[in-house]
Parts: sequence; C-alpha cells; structure tokens
Amino acid sequence: MTSRRLSAFVDAVAAGRRPKRFRADPHDAEVLRAAIALRAARPGEAAPSESFVSDLFQQLSGRASSSLTPATQAARPPGLRTGLAAVAAAAVLIGGTAVVTGSLNRPAAKFGVAVQAPDETALRTGTFQAARGQVLGQIVAYRGSPSWVFMHVDVPNYDGPIVCMLQVDNGSTVAFGTFVVHHGAGQFSKIIGDVNLSHLRGARLVTSAGSPVAMATFAA
Amino acid sequence: MTTASQSPRRSVRPRPDAGCDVTYLHLVDNDVYGDWESVYRDNVHRLYRLMYARVGNRSDAEDLTSEVFATALRPLRLSASKGEVQSYLLVTAKTVLASHWRRRLGQQVTTIDPESDLSFLTERSTPDEPSDAPARVQQVLDALPDRYRRILQLRFLEACSIKEAAHAMQVTVANAKVLQHRALRMAARVSVEPGP
Repeated sequence: MTSRRLSAFVDAVAAGRRPKRFRADPHDAEVLRAAIALRAARPGEAAPSESFVSDLFQQLSGRASSSLTPATQAARPPGLRTGLAAVAAAAVLIGGTAVVTGSLNRPAAKFGVAVQAPDETALRTGTFQAARGQVLGQIVAYRGSPSWVFMHVDVPNYDGPIVCMLQVDNGSTVAFGTFVVHHGAGQFSKIIGDVNLSHLRGARLVTSAGSPVAMATFAA
Repeated sequence: MTTASQSPRRSVRPRPDAGCDVTYLHLVDNDVYGDWESVYRDNVHRLYRLMYARVGNRSDAEDLTSEVFATALRPLRLSASKGEVQSYLLVTAKTVLASHWRRRLGQQVTTIDPESDLSFLTERSTPDEPSDAPARVQQVLDALPDRYRRILQLRFLEACSIKEAAHAMQVTVANAKVLQHRALRMAARVSVEPGP
C-alpha cells in the first residue's frame, strides 16, 4: 500500500523540492533511495549555485572571526554542532583511519586562528546502543582543563527526561545528570570535576522511571 | 593502520584471498592547505555534489553542505595534510547526513562512506566535471520494463509533473502514480546506493 506521505515525499524529490518529514519504514527507504538516485542524475543540476558558494563563504568567514578562540584557550563543552564535530574529530583521531597524526599549528589566514584539536589521549568516545543494537547516539569525554562530557541521542518516539549514569572501571556507577529529550532528540554536556576519565568504562541512559534506554562503552 | 604518500587518490586494496579482515589503505595527499579559504574553495563544490547525490534536492544539499563546513570550522587543523582534511570533512559529512535522515525520516535512506567516498573528494578532476551517476542510473533504467522505464524518465529526468507524465503515457493520473511506485520499487531492487 502506497502511503500518502511516501507519495508526497517522492513527488517532492521528483520536483526538486525539500521533502517533508515523516516516519518511514525500511521499504519506504528503498523506494526513496531509488527516487533520489534518479533525481540526482538529472543533467545539469548537480553543481552548487555561485551565490550559494559565495554566501556560505561569507557566513563562515564571519563565524570564524567571531567564534574561533585562540589555540591556547581551554576547550569547552560543545553545543550540538560542535559536539558532532567532536565526535567526527574523535573518529578521525582515534578510529585508526589513515589520517591525522601529531599536534599541528599553522596560522590561519582568512578565518582566524584554529583551535587545536584535542590529542587522542584527551578524547574518549562511545556509541549509545539500545538493547537490540540500534544506534541511538554518541558520547564524547574530553580530558582537559576543564574536563567535560558531551552526548547527543536520538530516541524515536520519546519525549521526557533521560538520566545519564557514568560507569567506572571499578564497577561503580555515578549519577551524572538529567536532560530532556524533545521529539526524540536530546543533547547534554557538562563539565566534570574529580573523575579521572581514564577510569570511565562507559555510560548508561535510563528513563526517570529507571527503564534502560541505551548503553555506551568508551573505546579503549 | 595508516599510511601516507605523495601520490593522491590511490587505494591499496588487499588481495581477494587476504582473508576477511579487510582494510582499505588510502594514500593521502601530503600537501597542506594554506588557509581556510583554500580548504573551502577546494572542497565546497565536490562536497555539495556529494550531498546533492545523497538527498536529491538543492535546499537540503545546501543546508547539509553548510552544516559540514560550519561543524568542521572549529576543530579543523590547517596544518594537517590535504588528505587528512578531506578525510575529516567526509567523516563530518557522514555524521551530518546520518543526523539529517534521522530527523527527516527516522531511516538512513542514503549514507556517506568515508572509505569509498574519499576518492570522490580527492580526485584531481575539476569540480564541474560530469559524474558517472547518469550512466549508472541509465543502467538501472535499462533493466526495467518499458513502461516502468518511461514513467521514471518522464518524472525524474525530464521534469514532468505526474499529470504531464500520465498524459504522455496515455494513462490516468492514478495509474501513473501506481506505475511510478511500482517502477521505483523495481528500480530499488536493481540499484543500490546513489553515487556522486
């Protein structure tokens, strides 16, 4: 049965419009993947407009000059976007891919001074997974001055508080904080004090009623 | 395990009989970018085209490309090699795209693979060079029955509305919608992942 929302989504793809969101199932995803591949192959439309390229450059230039901090400043708990970047950075730094070594500094001409990324011993990352293995989010712990932990989660069809418990390698569990998930999405960052990050084993998320949501284990 | 060399865009692939622990080693470009503008200018077109291939519309492709650069701006180290910077951009793009689909549909419709897509960012072709996506899509279309192929050509490649496509095929609009849906399902079975 073709759902009206799937049909509307396909129509939007065919017309090159931004499609509206809906809750798709895996079979819908297959159809949409095919529709996107077809639409993306339409001749002459794959290149960005020059106005987009120049406008984005202006935006980034402004953001860089206003938000970048000197390399000597301590890293702070990130917001969502920078948090995702931290996750991505961690993946590059720690994931064993063919990239990124050492500590590097070079004057940044147009965009000011870049913050030095934390070295691999300063970042620990983990992936939140539900009991059935579904990936629900990520967690990043940063050892520095101050040290902090950032996490973001996508819990489908959930609205409400989530309690985060940090697990220590001696088997104990430390209540770390509570944050609220809206429409399935939530993020949380907090500076941590006396906890030695190297002793953290992972994190556990539960509802306020104590029902388990997800667990993450920090990469070694 | 990592490796690096002066030669860009080369993949060292293990022999087929090397066992199941397959790791693809990329030889990355050791050149560095002089400034952030160089990073941007060298990658924005290719990154946009990659995003466009994964979402199929300009608005989302522009938003996601913007998000990748905005996200990458703070932690990126300009003294890293070009290959390292491009790998980092791809990893960020992967995360941004995954988040987009979670928000939009709750399903990963398309993905970015930092391994297989790295060659796309690092290739030395000009950013405006046509991709091989049309050829691959044509292969899929060629595998479909005539009417399925025609409805998809009209709708997705020739920019016809459903009404125009129905008229061209001499069927009702309702029939055209059913035909389109069945054609997409069959195309989905034939094809797998869109490429840039």
